[in-house]
Amino acid sequence: MSFPKKPVDNVRSAKTPEEVLSRIREVFGDAVSAELRERKGGKENRTGFYDAWLSVPKKEFLNLVDTLAEFDFPQFHVISGNDDGDVVTLYYHFTLFQVAGRGKRMGVNVSVPVDKKDLVMPSLFSRIPGVEYSERETREMFGVDFDGLPNKALVFLPENWNESIKPWRRDEAGPSAGDVRELS
Amino acid sequence: MEKKYKVPIGPVHVGLKEPITAWLDLEGEKIVGATVRPGAIHRGIEFMARDRNPIQVIYLSERICGICSFAHVVSFLRAVEDAASIPVPPRAQYIRALVLELERLHSHMLWAGVACYTIGFDSAFHLGMVLRERVMDVLEVLSGNRVNYGVATVGGVRWDVTAELAKTVKDMVKYYKREFAPFYDVVTSDPIAKARLRDVGVLTYEEAIAYSAVGPTVRASGVRADLRESSPYEAYVDFGVKAVVPQDYYGKAYGDVFDRFLVRVHEVYQSLDIIEKVMEGLPQGDIMWEKNLNKVLAYLKKAEGTGMSSIEAPRGDDTHVVHLDGGDENVTWWKVRAPTYANAVSWPLMFRNNELADAPLIINSIDPCISCMERMLVTDASSGDQKVVTRTELLEKCREKTRRLMQNDRN
Repeated sequence: MSFPKKPVDNVRSAKTPEEVLSRIREVFGDAVSAELRERKGGKENRTGFYDAWLSVPKKEFLNLVDTLAEFDFPQFHVISGNDDGDVVTLYYHFTLFQVAGRGKRMGVNVSVPVDKKDLVMPSLFSRIPGVEYSERETREMFGVDFDGLPNKALVFLPENWNESIKPWRRDEAGPSAGDVRELS
Repeated sequence: MEKKYKVPIGPVHVGLKEPITAWLDLEGEKIVGATVRPGAIHRGIEFMARDRNPIQVIYLSERICGICSFAHVVSFLRAVEDAASIPVPPRAQYIRALVLELERLHSHMLWAGVACYTIGFDSAFHLGMVLRERVMDVLEVLSGNRVNYGVATVGGVRWDVTAELAKTVKDMVKYYKREFAPFYDVVTSDPIAKARLRDVGVLTYEEAIAYSAVGPTVRASGVRADLRESSPYEAYVDFGVKAVVPQDYYGKAYGDVFDRFLVRVHEVYQSLDIIEKVMEGLPQGDIMWEKNLNKVLAYLKKAEGTGMSSIEAPRGDDTHVVHLDGGDENVTWWKVRAPTYANAVSWPLMFRNNELADAPLIINSIDPCISCMERMLVTDASSGDQKVVTRTELLEKCREKTRRLMQNDRN
């Protein structure tokens, strides 16, 4: 199963987190590192669900998303991230198996380092149109461009914003001390 | 040929928490396209958090939204607790679930009331507001506040359930089980209300999945997605929550405003059941992982890691991501994805082929943190003439349609 899946649907029966991770290891080998976090709760501290944290190099990112889509249409939450010096690290947050029954959902968090010398990511818009706001936000806040995103207009910053200032960057592209107004 | 207009709705009104602009392409009264532009009130909260420690950010996260403030706090705290590996005692998990469900009650009742107000069904609106007061009283008994409860903290909660509160909650559940049904009946059995809500602002099943819609919006399109069921967190591990979808009640999901109404009213009953289970099963024990705030801060300063949390807020999945650096007492970075952020992407689809008079209803139907539109500018593209349509006029247009339907109904 690969993108775009028509008609779009979610699978009714889930695979286990181990099955998903072993498929990822099979496809990517050492290129992708994975950590599985068990989420427990309630009176007897029972397992509620699992979250996977993956790290992937940029060139394998689309392949990884397509590999996730072999299991289920990935529900997209958001892109978070940070300016980590030479790279901007982006974290894509997905969900697999959102309708597969009680405790079956698996969170998949994918981190991708994007080199500041080439701040371009492939857009997921043609695969998951729900990424639009997040990609536009990442573009205006971090200055990471998205190849294939049709609408690159500002989404949260005002119309008269000086677009050379990227609010979430910590280097010279970010706001200088003079750009920040302290309220208290 | 019908005249074509491009109409902006929004962005600001003095009473709004979250102004937004929707540019609608109209052919006569029919909406043929829409572009949504948020950003009129981006407060840079995530940026501000870089200068604050996690305890200070609790109060910042509480002020993201005035309705689901507790959901944001719990989601933020769970992300911090994930990053720093802090356990939450079971009693505190239950109290968090209690307040989350109380919040869902008042949020859904507010929305259901406002939806009635938007179509000019004022008596149902007032009935909804009267009903909502009872849960606000309970929250006041618990925390002393009607909004921004200040209940949760890192590794637990700050206020315990007292005997007085337990009685107030019990009385409230009894009250709603008795009094909520008339409100539900009055709206769902009213032919005019049904005519105004049915087949308006449709989001299909496939679109709801592809556009990653969340909460009552995705469920109204027939997708059985509820984080309390699919990934039970904290106390929800102990409760068998099942996603509320319209096909279980009406045999079919239309994905329209009526279904969004239906899902929310049934979730009111669901929340009441959860609240009863919380009160019956409330475990004994501590309500905080560590009472000494200085110790908590010292521990958080040493903690290193990235944490993430998605919880089912009243409007849907509320995602927070937090990174803590060892040696830095402040939150290194933080990302908030409120449910409206996800649902607003689907607005342009919901507007398609609807009438201008239904625009306020469609915007309200995802229960955004936007309740009204101050004014809009109608531009006649052929002549360049401009006319400002006030919020009152727009509301009148919406109500006029109800009256027109009532007239047809009588004939």
